[in-house]
Amino acid sequence: MAASNLAAGAANIPGKHPGGGRRHGQPVQKPRDMKGTLSRLFQVLKGDRKGLVLILIFAVLSSASGIFSPLIIGQAISAISNGNAVLTFIFVLLGIYVGYFLVNLLQGIISGIFSQRVTYRIRVGLFRIMTGLPLKFFDTKQHGELMSRLTNDVDNISSTIADSLSQLLSSLFSMIGILIVMIRLSLPLTLVALIGTAAIVIFTRLVTKVTRPLFVKQQKDLGLLNGQVEETISGIFIVKSFSREKAVTQDFEKLNENLSKTATEAQTKSGIIMPVANVINNVSFVAISVLSATLAVQGMLSVGLITSFLLYIRQFSRPFVEISNIYNNFQTAIAGAERIFEILDTTPEPADKPDALPVKAPKGDITFTDVEFGYNPEKMILKGINLHVPAGTKVAVVGPTGAGKTTLINLLTRFYDVNAGSVTLDGHDLRDYRLADLRKAFGVVLQDTVLFAESVRYNIAYGNEGATIEDIKKAARIAGADSFIERMTDGYDTVLSQSGAELSHGERQLLTIARAVLSNAPIMILDEATSSVDTLTEKKIQNALLSVTEGRTSLIIAHRLSTIRDADLIIVIADGRIVEQGTHDELVALGGRYAAMHEAHVGE
Amino acid sequence: MALIFSYIKKHIVTFILAVAFLVVEAVTDIFQPALMSHIVDDGVTRQDTGAIIYYGVIMLIIAGIGAASAVIRNIFSTRHAQAVAKDMRRDIYKKTQSLSLENIDKISPASIITRITNDVSQVQDFVTGFTRIIFKAPITTISAIVMIVTQTPWLVPTMLIVIAISVFIMFLNIRIGYPKFARMQAKIDKLNHVAREYLTGVRVVKAFNASKNEEARFDRASDSLKNAGISAMRTMAVFGPLINLTVNVSIVVLLWLAHAQGGEHIGRTMASINYMTQMLFSLNIISGIFNRAIRALASSERIGEILHEEPAQKMPDRPLTPDIRGEVVFENVSFAYPGSDKNALENISFSCKPGQTIGIIGPTGSGKSTLTYLIPRFYDAGVGRVSVDGADVTLTDTNILRSRVGTAAQKALLFTGTIRDNLLWGNPDATDEEINTALKIADGLSIIESCDGGLDAVIGQGGVNLSGGQKQRLSLARTLLKKPKILILDDCTSALDATTEARVLAALREYSKDITVLLISQRISTVRRADKILCLDNGVVQGFDTHKNLLAGCGEYKAIYESQIGG
Repeated sequence: MAASNLAAGAANIPGKHPGGGRRHGQPVQKPRDMKGTLSRLFQVLKGDRKGLVLILIFAVLSSASGIFSPLIIGQAISAISNGNAVLTFIFVLLGIYVGYFLVNLLQGIISGIFSQRVTYRIRVGLFRIMTGLPLKFFDTKQHGELMSRLTNDVDNISSTIADSLSQLLSSLFSMIGILIVMIRLSLPLTLVALIGTAAIVIFTRLVTKVTRPLFVKQQKDLGLLNGQVEETISGIFIVKSFSREKAVTQDFEKLNENLSKTATEAQTKSGIIMPVANVINNVSFVAISVLSATLAVQGMLSVGLITSFLLYIRQFSRPFVEISNIYNNFQTAIAGAERIFEILDTTPEPADKPDALPVKAPKGDITFTDVEFGYNPEKMILKGINLHVPAGTKVAVVGPTGAGKTTLINLLTRFYDVNAGSVTLDGHDLRDYRLADLRKAFGVVLQDTVLFAESVRYNIAYGNEGATIEDIKKAARIAGADSFIERMTDGYDTVLSQSGAELSHGERQLLTIARAVLSNAPIMILDEATSSVDTLTEKKIQNALLSVTEGRTSLIIAHRLSTIRDADLIIVIADGRIVEQGTHDELVALGGRYAAMHEAHVGE
Repeated sequence: MALIFSYIKKHIVTFILAVAFLVVEAVTDIFQPALMSHIVDDGVTRQDTGAIIYYGVIMLIIAGIGAASAVIRNIFSTRHAQAVAKDMRRDIYKKTQSLSLENIDKISPASIITRITNDVSQVQDFVTGFTRIIFKAPITTISAIVMIVTQTPWLVPTMLIVIAISVFIMFLNIRIGYPKFARMQAKIDKLNHVAREYLTGVRVVKAFNASKNEEARFDRASDSLKNAGISAMRTMAVFGPLINLTVNVSIVVLLWLAHAQGGEHIGRTMASINYMTQMLFSLNIISGIFNRAIRALASSERIGEILHEEPAQKMPDRPLTPDIRGEVVFENVSFAYPGSDKNALENISFSCKPGQTIGIIGPTGSGKSTLTYLIPRFYDAGVGRVSVDGADVTLTDTNILRSRVGTAAQKALLFTGTIRDNLLWGNPDATDEEINTALKIADGLSIIESCDGGLDAVIGQGGVNLSGGQKQRLSLARTLLKKPKILILDDCTSALDATTEARVLAALREYSKDITVLLISQRISTVRRADKILCLDNGVVQGFDTHKNLLAGCGEYKAIYESQIGG
């Protein structure tokens, strides 16, 4: 429920492309000003504004009971000294105190709930945006750095809101109240007092202009630190096997030092605001005293009025200094928010065309026409690929590493889009289909054996929620994974608490194969699916897969030529071009690259 | 708490300086109102501009001093808190690097990350607050108590009761609040974990169109963090107002008593109420910092957990420093992964001489990689002995051992940075010539040529912008740069095409004439030329002999052979 609000909230953020990035290629708007960020932040809070109003009400109530209780105490005391009936006052006072207690309690609870909800909302919204971003985005960012945005930056926003909001509101109320009284006492003196105020505002802005980039850098440094920690802890195996503990610790210390330096600088500089504001207040107090005394001499103001005016100025300055302090605290939050909006502003995966086609029972006829593609536009990986895979055929792709085999699959699954040319499925350009439908049409086993820290059953049924346990077991059987799963302590319910790190590489591959089998997709893509599986098991899987893929289009990348010799079509890719294609026998007879590879394979 | 204070102590000088300037700042704060009233009473009321200017100048000077000391205090207290945080982060990280894989598996990487950043900043928040109130809270509290004891001694029992109740409330606060904050931090771990899994598996998530799945998982993790947060905040929200209520009720009681006495000591009552209000003020400050302290306590406990974690592997007191030439001996070795009751290796015995190449073959999950983990001591054998050049590895200097054992694994993990950075992991002092030699053996020169920037081309986390085969070749070159005496090749050519693989293996054969090689592979064709082949099944040695002899005498080996050659 909250989730749907949130997605709407995210879509409402100004600067975000409606409908998600249809305006491809347009420069993305990056708000670098505090006001812009603040107002966007306020947009995000849309669904929680009710909570905001409640906090406001409680802040008013809380300051009201703070004002009334001294009054009642005074009356009670005069009643006691006069010997009048005092019970009523005592009960009223007790009532006020209990009320004060309740108001404070509720205020605390509500602002706690509010801040946690806001955090949740921002966090989930951010993640939702992230799942819609293209691979390119993830390929260029460190995991830990992105994690830092999801945790630290979001937390900063909410804790600032929680800590400062009620304080800000009550300061604001007392300030406004006092200001009204001051204006009623003397408008000219108030105007003079406001000069001091203006000076503080200007000064605060000057300082924050310097400190805001520092706070942004602080959050960035924190992100980098997080990134380094994540990467080196994830790769601790390699760190240890190369005895690099000292070296990575040195890297860490450098980042740690940077973070601490930036944070120190930011906080030292922003720490100037409060004391200077205090001095300015004092100056303006003296100035007003001198001015009012002069006016009093001329009989233009009564001494009583001046005295109470000065008392109010003293009261006025306190909330004011508090506010400038809060404003300062806001900067970390704003810095965090900017980093979050940076992600929101990243162009998401291109949205489906309005008239996008559904993919219903695809036949699996795939054509690559003059396809040019490079991850980096200056360096093409695929150069003029022309390929026709008739529906229901088994196609194998071979070629040296780095030739572009996996890239071919990246285009087919639309992880990336072609730079030139087109890829079609059943006669329609891939970009004309609904992306979600299209990806459902492929059952994929990728080189990365990704598993999640959930049960084995969950992992096999990944992306296939409706699967029954029978289906899952059947898929595991076909993939040859059933025997080792059944040996595990809880069988299919065993939780892979280390995201699969507790399994051998081959076992992980078997699980990912089972996953693809279960997806029962019309087109199967196997990218080095069995590279770590022993050959006996591989044989078994192959036979089983053969029966599964019977009559379906399948695309297989394999280095072991034995795996692919009975493919209907073998394509040899070298340096981004198709250099040979044909059946095994044809290619061997051709005596070219494939024949040489075959030679190397069986030669031993 | 002891942990936090031990860090505060480390930077005691900045801490003392911060507090010293805080004192100056506080003193000037006290003077200010007095001077202001002088301006009003002596200046404005008497319309004496001279007096206003006189007191005004004094006030400005004092305010200036106060402001200066506030700025300086802020410099020191910021430095202090930052230094504490920096040290903590560094110590946790260092400690983590010294732990064995078993410990890290246990704590979980996501949790380590949370502790280094999030938990440390909780502590830092507390330390910052602590420097600010350390002076203020005792002063206000003590002065309130002194005032009550000297001026209104009859209030002492009431005061004691109020203090007792407040202490009780704070005690309850710790009891109830602490576990809630601990739980909240654990939920952050979980959130980090889900986020990390998504980032690692983003390709699979997209291929299976499972964004909804991941969103739901992340949603669940955020939701339970939210609930843990709300529950903690709710608890915290109760205690402050409760202390307030206690003091306020005591004020009502005082009024009631004054009334019962018939209003004779009204002056006394007024003084009492004033002092009680002052006490309330100081109790408020204390309970405010207390809330932060509880949260910091929960976090410091988690930090302490890492700092006090016993490394699962004991380092020898007087480590052996053998001259490693490459003799590896396994004697009756059995091993089970921590937390597993099933042996991954069962009574393994074999040995190899320097310069030999040992092939290791066996079905998926048979323990091939596990076996090699025991040589550089990633894990320790549960039973039996693994020794290198006659020295038990558990008694050998791990640094020397690991510098001599090179592993090229199938999962080629590269790090963010340039290709050169990654290769230099093998040997930080390697010359370009050495790098080229290693790349040549690993057939990696063409990768360098095809990358913009050559050796200085930047690769993303995990080497995302390289193909699987390219990553494997680079990671092999990285291992070769180490010039290991024992080279473990764990199926590290699985993503290479047959032609390239044949080339790499031939180059490796040439390279490894004088070193020991453990060659793990699925393929008979890869291992058949090895001096001896270890055939594993289910953690048990099925045979250890030459290709020819195994073919004749080992049924399992023969079965693998037939499956491959037959195909």
